[in-house]
Amino acid sequence: MTARKLLSVAAGVAVTLSGVACDNSGLTNINKNPNSPTVAPPGPVFTRAANLAVSEFLGSGYDQYYTSVVAQHLAEVQYPDVDAYRRLDPASTGTAFNAAYSAELEDLTQVVKAGRAQNNPFYWGPASIVRAWEFGYLTDSWGDIPYSQANQGDSSTAVLSPAYDAQKDIYTDLFKTLDTASKALAAANPGLTNLGTADIIYKGSAIKWQRFANSLRARYAMRVVNADRNLADAQLKAAFAAPGGVFTANADAAALVWPGDNTYNNPWGGDLARDDRRVSNRLIDPLIAMNDPRLAVYAQPTQADPTKYAGLQNGMLQSQLGAYVATTSRVGKALFTASTSYGNFGNAGIARPSYLMTFAELSFIQAEAAERGLGGLNAAQAKGFYEAGIRSSMAQWGITDQTAITAYLASTPVAYAGGTPGLVQIANQKWIALFGDGGQAWAEWRRTCQPTTVKPGPEAIQNTVPRRLLYPSTEYAVNASSLNAAVARQGADAFTTRVWWDVNSSSAPTYTAGCGTR
Amino acid sequence: MTRHLRRYVAAASVLLGALPAAAIAQQATTISGRVTSDAAAPLPGVSVSIPTLGAGAYTDDKGHYSFTVPSTRAAGQAVQLTARRIGYTAKTVTVTLSGAAITQDFSLGTSATQLTGVVVSALGATERPKSQLGAAVTQLSTEELNGSTHEQNIMQQVEGKVAGVRITSPGTQGGNVNIVIRGQNSLTGSNQPLFVVDGIPVSNASRGGSVGSGRDYGSTISDINPEDIESMTVLKGPNAAALYGSRASNGVIVLTTKKGKSSTGRIRTDFTSSLTFENPSRLWDFQNQYGQGSGGSFAFVNGAGAGDCDGCDQSFGPKLDGRLIHQFTDGTDTTVKSPWIAHPNNVRDFFNTGRTFSTTAAASGGTDRLNGRVSIGADDINGMIPNNRFTKFSTMLSGQFQVNDRLNTSATAQYVRNTGLNRPGVGYSNSILEQFFWFGRQVDLNALRNYQQTSLANSPNGNREFNWNYNFHSNPFWLQAENPVTDGRDRIIGSVSATYKLADGVNATLRSGSDIYRYNINTQSAYAGPGASLTYNGAMSITSDYFNENNTDLIINGNRSLGHGITVNATVGGNTRRNQSSTEAQSTSSLLVAGLYNISNSAIAPTVSQSISRRATNSVFGSAAFTLNDWWTVEGTARNDWSSTLPEGANSYFYPSVNTSVVLTDAIPSLKNSVLSFAKVRGSVAQVGNDASPYQLATTFSGVSAKFNGQPQYSLGDQLANAALKPEITRSIEYGTELGMWDSRVTLDATVYQNQTKNQILSATVSAASGFTSKSVNAGRIDNKGYEALLTLIPVRKNRLEWTTAVNFAHNHSTVAELAPGISQIQLGGGLFSDARTVAALGQPYGQIQVRGYMRDSATGAIMTSKGLPLGTTNYLPMGNLQAKWTGGWNNTLTYRGVTVGALVDVRHGGNIVSYTNSVGESSGQLASSLKGREIDWNNPGIVVHGTDRESCGAGSGVTATGMYRCVGGGTANSKNVNSEAYFQALFQNMEPYVYDASYVKLREVRVGFDLPSRWASRFNANAVNVALIGRNLGLWTKVPNIDPEFAYSNGNAQGIEYGVVPNARSVGFNLRVTP
Repeated sequence: MTARKLLSVAAGVAVTLSGVACDNSGLTNINKNPNSPTVAPPGPVFTRAANLAVSEFLGSGYDQYYTSVVAQHLAEVQYPDVDAYRRLDPASTGTAFNAAYSAELEDLTQVVKAGRAQNNPFYWGPASIVRAWEFGYLTDSWGDIPYSQANQGDSSTAVLSPAYDAQKDIYTDLFKTLDTASKALAAANPGLTNLGTADIIYKGSAIKWQRFANSLRARYAMRVVNADRNLADAQLKAAFAAPGGVFTANADAAALVWPGDNTYNNPWGGDLARDDRRVSNRLIDPLIAMNDPRLAVYAQPTQADPTKYAGLQNGMLQSQLGAYVATTSRVGKALFTASTSYGNFGNAGIARPSYLMTFAELSFIQAEAAERGLGGLNAAQAKGFYEAGIRSSMAQWGITDQTAITAYLASTPVAYAGGTPGLVQIANQKWIALFGDGGQAWAEWRRTCQPTTVKPGPEAIQNTVPRRLLYPSTEYAVNASSLNAAVARQGADAFTTRVWWDVNSSSAPTYTAGCGTR
Repeated sequence: MTRHLRRYVAAASVLLGALPAAAIAQQATTISGRVTSDAAAPLPGVSVSIPTLGAGAYTDDKGHYSFTVPSTRAAGQAVQLTARRIGYTAKTVTVTLSGAAITQDFSLGTSATQLTGVVVSALGATERPKSQLGAAVTQLSTEELNGSTHEQNIMQQVEGKVAGVRITSPGTQGGNVNIVIRGQNSLTGSNQPLFVVDGIPVSNASRGGSVGSGRDYGSTISDINPEDIESMTVLKGPNAAALYGSRASNGVIVLTTKKGKSSTGRIRTDFTSSLTFENPSRLWDFQNQYGQGSGGSFAFVNGAGAGDCDGCDQSFGPKLDGRLIHQFTDGTDTTVKSPWIAHPNNVRDFFNTGRTFSTTAAASGGTDRLNGRVSIGADDINGMIPNNRFTKFSTMLSGQFQVNDRLNTSATAQYVRNTGLNRPGVGYSNSILEQFFWFGRQVDLNALRNYQQTSLANSPNGNREFNWNYNFHSNPFWLQAENPVTDGRDRIIGSVSATYKLADGVNATLRSGSDIYRYNINTQSAYAGPGASLTYNGAMSITSDYFNENNTDLIINGNRSLGHGITVNATVGGNTRRNQSSTEAQSTSSLLVAGLYNISNSAIAPTVSQSISRRATNSVFGSAAFTLNDWWTVEGTARNDWSSTLPEGANSYFYPSVNTSVVLTDAIPSLKNSVLSFAKVRGSVAQVGNDASPYQLATTFSGVSAKFNGQPQYSLGDQLANAALKPEITRSIEYGTELGMWDSRVTLDATVYQNQTKNQILSATVSAASGFTSKSVNAGRIDNKGYEALLTLIPVRKNRLEWTTAVNFAHNHSTVAELAPGISQIQLGGGLFSDARTVAALGQPYGQIQVRGYMRDSATGAIMTSKGLPLGTTNYLPMGNLQAKWTGGWNNTLTYRGVTVGALVDVRHGGNIVSYTNSVGESSGQLASSLKGREIDWNNPGIVVHGTDRESCGAGSGVTATGMYRCVGGGTANSKNVNSEAYFQALFQNMEPYVYDASYVKLREVRVGFDLPSRWASRFNANAVNVALIGRNLGLWTKVPNIDPEFAYSNGNAQGIEYGVVPNARSVGFNLRVTP
């Protein structure tokens, strides 16, 4: 073969090969993702976001591992590390922070976007209300957090290092968001499609979403009362007067009902199954003292003595705890959603609802507002709200013995005393009713300093109960300048730094000297 | 895709059809002879050929060869006749083809290293003399691979043998082998080399566990039967590998399989068989003075918390002094008591002596035009842990058919069936050893063997486990027997190839090969105990992986003399690669009827998932090597890829390379003297591009298969896509020298290199508050530079005694030179409890280890204490790096008459490891080191931490930005006495005491072989029969307590963190090898 022939063969090969290579659209079409779409309908996205959000903040990590222990509803019996505040560290608690934004808040943002694009408040309304619910937990726990620039990674601005907003500004916007959502839902054309069964909280009921939005607004209004009493007063008034009003019965409460199908169970029990926790003596002692019917629901008798309930002291050493495993009370069967290899301590709770907000909580907010003359209410109304709070809490926990409840309401430490003692009663009953919602219980304790028994345990490595959580280490790594601006504004990233609303705590009528200090 | 293939086929048929048929020879010159070794032994399998005519043959088992050259092409010219075989120095003589028969014998000397052999190049389509290569290439012959000891994974047989190739054995039998050549180039992508078998890339996918959990299912390269491999060529970097495409940036392992050879019609058989026995090479040093319990007390009631610490799993209990205590073996009557004594071997006794039986038989043969080889191999391994078994069955068929003088065809097919039962778990949740870190030192292991005893506490019903603890743990025998995990892979690797001689020295090869497997993994969990819920009657999962990759190449290679002593070797070609893989999984956490492991028996909606990955690359490439007078070669290569995974219009990338080599002793013959026999220098510059993994260009929603009350769910992915990704680029430059001295009794092959990989496609962590946890970006650069050398000496060679000693040495220094803007580090691996991690930190070597450590006084460095216990930081502190300072191997072979003794020592110096085994083992009171501070009287504890009491610091004290403590006033020294249990538990999440220097020296291989007398061999119709005693992992010297610092828990980049690693198997046994 001559060199010329060779050349022509080579040229032929080259042409053929370039033909193959340059068929580029055919090639890049292979990269179309066969596993997942770039666009998804808002309903399924809302369903996912709603149950993720509830798991995150009323579930195992943020709630049961950390805030319910810090609030001393629970105590650790195996590894008392959070109890000693050793493990209440950013690497651990930061998981909830990061997951909240990247999972459910992002999905809720997508639903809000889609709903806005379709101009349909029945889509964006519920999504923005759940978003506002979740941001409350975040800012109450960390203080200043990314808010106005959050969840804009895929927007045209592509914000990958969002700024931190001051908590005061976040609260201002939460009030506005809830106001806007409530009004838009009230004004929307009822003929528009709603989320329907994809709405796993209210099945698309606009009026119930309005009541939740307004009740949540009341929660936030009361939260800021020490920092800005006038703002609290105005927002309470606005919440009570907003279209749809607030919760009027347990049936209005924002609850996510778990299928209990062993795939989607009430998350509370998942980690109870490790047998790492007991009910704190801070919670059990007053329940026993007051002969509270909820005792048998919140706790189980001890394994060593089935006639006896006993709480566990928070913040002990692991080497001291061996004997307490059998002699202190596990969490009640109603919450124990999983059975365990060491015994069946309940299975009733797998389909128990998770309450985003209860009617009882709202009633206690109303009771406090009434006693303090806020939100257009007056002191004479306080007792009614207080008793409604206790009764609805009892009902919510499945206690139906009205005689017992009535007797309880009339008994000495429970019967409403009015004035500052009444406010102490309201705060304590609210803290008890918030069992299962560690984030709220902790925030309310910080605001009211009730119960006064909540103090660092004997072996805790610091002398005061934490006032906030520490920022996640990932934020230091990838969003440092935004975070540093927040630290400069808010104070050191420390447990002792107080969030914006956690000021003038001594101005709270229920404040006691040495609050939270060992 | 089929369209492309059809075009290819069409183009090829045009090429082939257009060419004239081969001329038929009228008369022929027959060339024959015999090839022997220096020692006058016949050498089979030697290639004897006239390269310029493309004619030749292999020697048979008596060393004879014979072939004919047609008279039309043998018109009186003088040609070069070359005899060569891997492991021997090639020889070339000039013969004149006159028509008369020619007899030419050869005697070949062994070469200690292959300074002058041939290596496969141009994607396996052609061979080139090693002396002409401008980049480092290491070739291992079948003797070097298989002649020592037997491992199931061929890569384990390379450990310690190749400089600069870091091979990390799996901790577990059958587990992943991690291979890193010349340091990690990719921040977060794969750092594993490409595997090529007979020119066809094959999968080395792995399913590895992680430090948190999982089982190590091994890597798929272990399917290759080492006995089918003729040679392995290690191309260490982009310089040698540029033609192999983008996956070559981490180097290429080129495997050439054994082929049939001309045997004048006789069958050549070879046979090898080995039987070895395995034991754990290292177990921990346990304490045997205190039993289960806490605070010195323990009382068993139900093993689940009803008694004092009977649900606990630490051993800080009563002293094991023989006192009578009611125990788990004593039934429900708590008045029954047994002596409280140590069971020092209760962990060791869990392990069995493993047994590995491995056999391969092969038959080959053929004529000068047609030959073939068929082999069957079987491995049967009973693992060291109970009820753990692996089997592998492999067959391989290969054949070559010289259709005529111009057309040569070949095909290979391999079928492999690989199964595993209860592959050992790794990491925290699945490691079988996790059972023993939380254990009672008083537990009688033998009492647990009958895991189904029914008459005792907590075991009222059948098929429920009996255990020492019902709170956290399962009976390990129960786990192995009742919760089996089985896996099986069926794999076919096949290729067909046709080479057509276009002209003298010019060949076109069309080749297509596929690697296809399906891999199924089934897990079963039995109904475990009385606490299980009513619907829970066990759990199961089934996972099915499918993998299919096809590569089709057209390669034209020409070898021409241009006159003036210049020859050119040029290649032009193209490749299409099509890859599809998928995984489908179904699982349920709740079965309806116990014992029936079928997904239709699920009591709840099963969880299902499916993922598909498809990618394709089209490439054109070419190379040209010009050689002057056989001593100076300059070569250039170029390749362009079009990838499916990059944005349309920006998915093309080009990568060139240039290299040169000069054989100084040929260029300047006067250099040659009695000392220096061979000297070569080489240099190379190369660039390799790489594409992205699929589907990184658009952010998508993930579906959730499990419906929420019947409602479908979608969630936006956490990784922000990037529609503007660019290819990543690796640049490499290397220089090397190869020296032979004293008649090649001393050889040195040394290389210095520098690699730089930039524009890395990585998933950069972004603030989660953006709505995403990461974003695909082009960012980051890693620089690797280092040197490596292989020095081979033959200090003794006389009176049939020969001692060969080879030392290899490699040093690599990596630097993470750039990361994405605003990012100072990228996490590679994480510890168990957010207390240790490995990162690629800016400006640091790849793999910095960071742990949470002691909180210290920022002024004095004293450990801060609170209530007598050390305080830990909440932030991470840098504590070393996983990179070794250097690695090396020392290989010795001593032969005397028919006896061969070999020993291989493997060394790693420097680098660090974090050990959770030591951390958890101390906080659980298991390890002997946790005896520190324990006293008989718990009221008189024994540890006073040397540090500063935080409570004594003045107002204004606090944690500093770096996690240290500013102690105003200096504080006072801690004087509080704490007990051992509180002390070690306070170290939880403080990993500073558990970071170790990971240096080790290992006696990796020992082999003592005996050649049986040749008259015995002839009874097997064979040339040689060798029986050997073999041993692996026989000795370990390290400063790390309790564990083997060499381990891999995954095939990924997350190395350097250890938890509960199952110790390497120490194996000893026999090997029988019959060589035809």
